[in-house]
Amino acid sequence: MRQVAIYGKGGIGKSTTTQNLTAALSTMGKHILQIGCDPKADSTRMLMGGRRQASVLDTLREVGTDNVKLEDVMQVGFGGIKCVEAGGPEPGVGCAGRGIITAINLLEEDGAYTDDLDFVFYDVLGDVVCGGFAMPMREGKAKEIYLVASGEMMALYAANNISKAIAKFAQQSGIRLGGMICNSRNVENELELLTAFSKAIGTHLVHFIPRDKIVQRAEISKKTVVEYDPESNQAKEYLKLAKNVIENGNFSIPTPITYEELEKLMIDFGVME
Amino acid sequence: MPIPETYELECDRCIPERYKHMALSNREQPVIPACNIKTVPGDMTERGCAFAGARGVVGGPIGDCIQMIHSPSGCAWYQWGTRRNLSTIYNWSGPGKLCNDSHNRRRAITTDLKEEDVVFGGVKKLKNACLETWRLTPGAGGILIYTTCTSGLIGDDCHAVAREVEKEIGKPVFVIEAPGFCGVSQSKGHHEFNVQFYKQMTEYREAHPEVCLKEEDKTPYDINIIGEFNMDWDLALIKPLFEKLGCRIVTVFTGGERMDNLLKMPDAKLNVLHCQRSCTYISNLIQQGYEVPYVRASFFGIEQTARALRDVAKFFKSEEMIDKAEQIIDKETKAITPALNFYREKLAGKKVGLYVGGPRVWHWTKVMKELGMEVVFGMCTFAHEDDYEKINARAEDGLFLVDAPNEFEIEECLERFKPDLFLTGLKEKYLARKFGVPTVNSHSYEKGPYAMFRGLINFARDIYQGIYAPVWKFTRDEDFTR
Repeated sequence: MRQVAIYGKGGIGKSTTTQNLTAALSTMGKHILQIGCDPKADSTRMLMGGRRQASVLDTLREVGTDNVKLEDVMQVGFGGIKCVEAGGPEPGVGCAGRGIITAINLLEEDGAYTDDLDFVFYDVLGDVVCGGFAMPMREGKAKEIYLVASGEMMALYAANNISKAIAKFAQQSGIRLGGMICNSRNVENELELLTAFSKAIGTHLVHFIPRDKIVQRAEISKKTVVEYDPESNQAKEYLKLAKNVIENGNFSIPTPITYEELEKLMIDFGVME
Repeated sequence: MPIPETYELECDRCIPERYKHMALSNREQPVIPACNIKTVPGDMTERGCAFAGARGVVGGPIGDCIQMIHSPSGCAWYQWGTRRNLSTIYNWSGPGKLCNDSHNRRRAITTDLKEEDVVFGGVKKLKNACLETWRLTPGAGGILIYTTCTSGLIGDDCHAVAREVEKEIGKPVFVIEAPGFCGVSQSKGHHEFNVQFYKQMTEYREAHPEVCLKEEDKTPYDINIIGEFNMDWDLALIKPLFEKLGCRIVTVFTGGERMDNLLKMPDAKLNVLHCQRSCTYISNLIQQGYEVPYVRASFFGIEQTARALRDVAKFFKSEEMIDKAEQIIDKETKAITPALNFYREKLAGKKVGLYVGGPRVWHWTKVMKELGMEVVFGMCTFAHEDDYEKINARAEDGLFLVDAPNEFEIEECLERFKPDLFLTGLKEKYLARKFGVPTVNSHSYEKGPYAMFRGLINFARDIYQGIYAPVWKFTRDEDFTR
């Protein structure tokens, strides 16, 4: 079983990329569990055909810690993918980070991690803001991390930041950075910039996903591209990404760069004046 | 002044950071050990947390308030029945009263935060808990909400809850935020309670001027007793003497007090400050905010109690009161002299080790001298520099001082100094007794009160009974080297 966590700046397309990636993997015959680690609980929406499922924490709140049953919080979506949403509090109250810890512990206790799974994917919100959101990186959880970014300054800034957390956890829990995934925003020199940035932080670009309107169309139909139009170019891109992830042999401890180095990189590639 | 090698405790060889916490007292040049700093990891400290200081020491003795602890139930453990004198508000027997509104150490109320409350926030639970407790004890004078580590960390907006509950119940609801991690010992909790209570009291008085002491009810000799927690009915001896002096006691902060009275605190003419560690903060705040001065006082022992009465009389510049003070001192001293002589004879030359939170070490150094006993070492859990200055001033030169001692240090001091008596708290007494050293509970007393003139006799009696208890002869076999 490979446990994979996807991190990246909020709004960069992590959930979209993750769902398309897992959908593509499932068409290759892989057994997958996808866990959305975001209080918004929208990480598995397209895999579930738009059906919102009860999150682990919502269920916990209603029935109590001891009475959460796996079948109540785990639904099977497209391609047999098991989908779980951790859920969390409303904005402004409670502790969402603790929620992630609670949810993942509960899933473990209830036996969600079965031996037949080839992949477990964690789709984690925006940034590693506190210990709770680092949970998937910690002991016994995800061993490989992929960073989703585009050629924009703040996306790379966040990716660089998260790689600091990975470098920290790498010593104690053995996690490794599997690589960067570019979700293109059609920025100039994007492929070159991402390739150079990946190299700078000591990793590689797993795949460059071009921008395509079909993603939005599929999203409106509450489907992944892989399901919506398996013959489309974009679906093939996601299949390529899936293949790269399966075959990926490049796992490294990242070497985060300074803010000045990042700025220089942006200038070198003509993104910033 | 470095400590002579003979004083360096053997048990601290592997934790040398502890040596700076030790000193020998000196009256001319006070020596202050390192104090009020973080405990070194590995040092099995006897300290408590900041929340313990806020709830257990300063807030807890308030008699008629619902003490709501917003925490997992663990923080609220050991919070009831911990003293002989639970609060003395027995108004269930009054007309129209259906319940007992004395909360002080009778009830411990907690919101019992669980995993889901941490994740989703505990404010709703807190509000419900406040209202439910209010329904059960509608005669309460108000609610004090305490946060602890858990509720502090998740950032529950307790003040918003307090405002909502205040509207519903029409009584003050104050929030005291003293999570354990906010300071190095319980001392920080005392501080937080003082500052936050003062702020909210001031705001409440501004919003509800009717709670202030009315002009026509004021007298020229209104005083507050600050930092007196009514340990074993100490107030039963303190109040009458000040009343005989001609004072009117408006409020006691906080021993067995009612919220109604606490809100009148700034309306007095003078604050008499007893516990100068936990309550100097609010005395200073009242002095700055309301121009009510304070005098420091100690109510233990003949000399210190006499000075307290004289200082208060002197403050009011009333000849009558000054005369009255002398009369009281004379009468009280005469009344206790026969008993005191008996105990002095029995206790003469006995050696005593002193280990209390902070101020009592200096409060009692003089008292031990009055009983003819010799203090052989002094220890404080959470004292600050000013406490050690006072100890230096009151003790014989060369008194061995240990700041925030751990169990091994206590053990070694008991072996080294071989005291005939160890004045200490509940936790440490077992250690001392296993060494055959008698103890007297110095936190909540054995059979108090110990304050003022007559309390000294109770104190002396408990010490006498401790030292002369027949049980100790069984520990004094040929192996016992005392």
